[in-house]
Amino acid sequence: MPTAAPTRADLIDPASLASLGRIEIVARWVVDGFLTGLHRSPRKGFSVEFAEFRPYQPGDDLRYIDWRVVARSDRWMIKQFEEETNTRAAIVLDVSRSMDWSGSPDRLTKLRYAEQVVAAIALLLIRQRDAVGLVRYDDRLRTVLPPRARTMQWRRIVSALEESGAGPDSRMGEGVQQAARLIRRPGIVIVISDLLVDQGEMEQALRVARAAGHQVTVLHIMDPSELDLDARGEAIFYDPEGTLEVTATVSDVRQAYARTVAHAIEEWRLKLAALGAGYEVIRTDSPFGVPLRRAFATRQRLP
Amino acid sequence: MSFLAPIWLVLTAAVAVPLFLHLMRRRIDIRREFPAARYLLRAEKENVRRLKLRNLFLMLLRTLVLLFLALAAARPIGALLGSGHVPTALAVVVDNSMSSGAIVDGRPLLARLKATARSMIEGTGANDQSWLLTADGVVTGGARNVVLDALDRLEPLGGRGDIGGAITRAAGLVLAADLPAGTVAVLTDAQASQWPGDVSLGDVRLVAFVPAGRAPVNRAILLADPHPPRWSPKGAVMVGAAGADSVTFRVTLGDRTVARGLLRGSDEQVVRLEPAERGWLAGSVELAPDELRGDDVRHFAVWIGDAPAVQVHPGAGIFAREAVDALVQSGLVTHGQAIEVAPVDAASRLPALLIAPSDPVRLGAANRSLERLGIPWRLADPRRDETVARGAEVEGTAVRFRFPLRSAPGSGASDTLATASGEPWIVAGPDYVLVGSPLATEATALPIRAPFLPFLSNLLSQRLTREGSGLVRADPGAPVRLPAAVTGWERDSQVVAVGEAATAPSRAGVYFLRNGDARVGALVVNPEREESRLDRLSSSELKSRFKAGEVVVTGDPADLGRSAFDASARRPLQAVLLLLALACLVAEMIVVRSAEPRGQRRAA
Repeated sequence: MPTAAPTRADLIDPASLASLGRIEIVARWVVDGFLTGLHRSPRKGFSVEFAEFRPYQPGDDLRYIDWRVVARSDRWMIKQFEEETNTRAAIVLDVSRSMDWSGSPDRLTKLRYAEQVVAAIALLLIRQRDAVGLVRYDDRLRTVLPPRARTMQWRRIVSALEESGAGPDSRMGEGVQQAARLIRRPGIVIVISDLLVDQGEMEQALRVARAAGHQVTVLHIMDPSELDLDARGEAIFYDPEGTLEVTATVSDVRQAYARTVAHAIEEWRLKLAALGAGYEVIRTDSPFGVPLRRAFATRQRLP
Repeated sequence: MSFLAPIWLVLTAAVAVPLFLHLMRRRIDIRREFPAARYLLRAEKENVRRLKLRNLFLMLLRTLVLLFLALAAARPIGALLGSGHVPTALAVVVDNSMSSGAIVDGRPLLARLKATARSMIEGTGANDQSWLLTADGVVTGGARNVVLDALDRLEPLGGRGDIGGAITRAAGLVLAADLPAGTVAVLTDAQASQWPGDVSLGDVRLVAFVPAGRAPVNRAILLADPHPPRWSPKGAVMVGAAGADSVTFRVTLGDRTVARGLLRGSDEQVVRLEPAERGWLAGSVELAPDELRGDDVRHFAVWIGDAPAVQVHPGAGIFAREAVDALVQSGLVTHGQAIEVAPVDAASRLPALLIAPSDPVRLGAANRSLERLGIPWRLADPRRDETVARGAEVEGTAVRFRFPLRSAPGSGASDTLATASGEPWIVAGPDYVLVGSPLATEATALPIRAPFLPFLSNLLSQRLTREGSGLVRADPGAPVRLPAAVTGWERDSQVVAVGEAATAPSRAGVYFLRNGDARVGALVVNPEREESRLDRLSSSELKSRFKAGEVVVTGDPADLGRSAFDASARRPLQAVLLLLALACLVAEMIVVRSAEPRGQRRAA
């Protein structure tokens, strides 16, 4: 049954959307679309202490329109209030070489996709006046931005996303621990990675973050080719971050590979659940609305 | 299992290809970046046993495909499976003897035999060999349509033919074909009179078709003999028929009907005639048509001439003179000088009836006379002993005085008509008859016995008459020896050149013998009398007549076809092997494609 093409940016094919503009523009479209899709903003993010006005946006609660300003200036303005319990969040982004890979030229690399997601999450948090920081790492820490709630913070984050990376290793433990240190009181740590890392090291880091009282959400970014092994023929498959080489005939191992990946995902899910961390698998062909929704699903603090 | 084209077995070497590909270490040049290689490695480790088994299974399937194809190319035949029939040498013997022309259930029996033979021959394939053999000894082989054309042209013979010879020859053809299976199929009316003895075929398999039902009642002319063979000009035709009922007949001579009559049962009748025509004439005795037309007419030929002119020498004796006078009075001979009846020593020319002298002193003169006339016999010293003559027309005649006859060295052909004490007494040759005793009661009782006149008449009008001696009788298709002077025979105004030894035509009738433009005799071809007896053998009786490796006798045409090609339990395995190869290919495809994701399977 034919359906109408989606017009909301958070539902559009990510590769097509990313090709339309720079990262910050795309992130705004995504967040705007995402908020529109919510229809009605919940109370969260608004408190009794006035902070500033801002233009009305579709989806805003009509209760917060300042009708006197509307009467005076004929512009629809929303009153925003300084929330006393602002959340502090840190996004941990894996920028190692394994992330800079796509199984098809029609798709974004895992890194490009993850950067768009980071930009959108950061914008969303900042819009609801949460403080957000960023930690980028590969074989070392590439970027460390402490959490801030100012609008300029988002620009800093977007600029940081354009910095180099693609190192030959993933020091996730170091990145997560750095993020945990950046947030002084209990906050949110969002880890975005392909999880091709040392499992023990990561568990240790997450345990530390959880011990500090942070909510941890792990977004496992996967290319569809990594899920289904949709290549053909036989070849030598090599890991860009190491010396591992596997000679395989795709048709021979496809089913076993799919089972192995499914098993690995289930293993991650169980381990992270045991640590009290949220875990979501995100395919790089999923619209950007999907990771946004899942990132906040565990937190249940959608704007 | 054996192979019809074993050269193709070399293709079985191709099974080494998948084996080699399976065992060889593959060289892979394609390198792909794949971050999740650790999962791939884990999958390979977990899957390695299953993969090995699967690859082994695939190798086995591919090897089997090649093996089955190579074996199929070699055209194997085996005992257990298979389809169709093994390449078969099929010799179909159709009994087209005269009796096969009988109308049974409103249709000639031969038509049923031909239809059955046609269905069998049409059942042959490109790998089979087939022949059609008939009772007249004709063999047609080669392409199937050629054999079928020959079958369509088949007509009943004028006689019995030689079905036994045809079957024996068919067995030889089947054996010489050197095919995996061979069958001789005999389609016959199982006429009892046609199967006098056993037919031995060795190891060849024989299937026989005998139509069900009883033979029709048949009436036939069995006797149509002119008597005497040369008419001068009086003569008679002996007529006889077979059948319980009275039948009407007619006698034709030349182009006209000369007599009609009624025959009761198996009686014989004598039809006396004195035709005006002279020379060789063809005649026939005919019945009203019945179920078997071939024996409703019987042919004869007769030479008709004037009565022979006879001159009796005074020394021949009173009995000879009186006897000739009696024959002249009967019109059987006339007085003249064509044939001389004389004592040996007084004979001056031939043809002559030569009588031994009554006085032994004339022995020398007699032998000199014989020498002068060119007769290869001599008179020995006389014997005076009481003895009895042995011979067809003079049997039991007392002989008291005789000159034993001695053949001269280098003597030509001659007949001994009678003997006395085991020695030749009456001999005959071209243009002469020599009697070893004088025709007097002191020497022999011959002249006073009743058969003397017919005997003398026969000698004068048959033996010593030059014309009309060339009558030959033969069965249809039988070998025949013709008189030396014959250069051909004529029938329906057509002259066919023949030699001294020839084969009689398969059609019944009278064929005048020719020497140049002159008719010098006649060949009379009539069906064998036994061929008119249509009684059939039962299936078991017919089966017992064949001495073969395996004998099947049936009355069902479909059963006959099945039996002919089911002769060997071995059948071609080609189709089975191709099916097995196909099954292996399908299995291989299923195994290969089972590893493909659904989307890619659809795209493929």
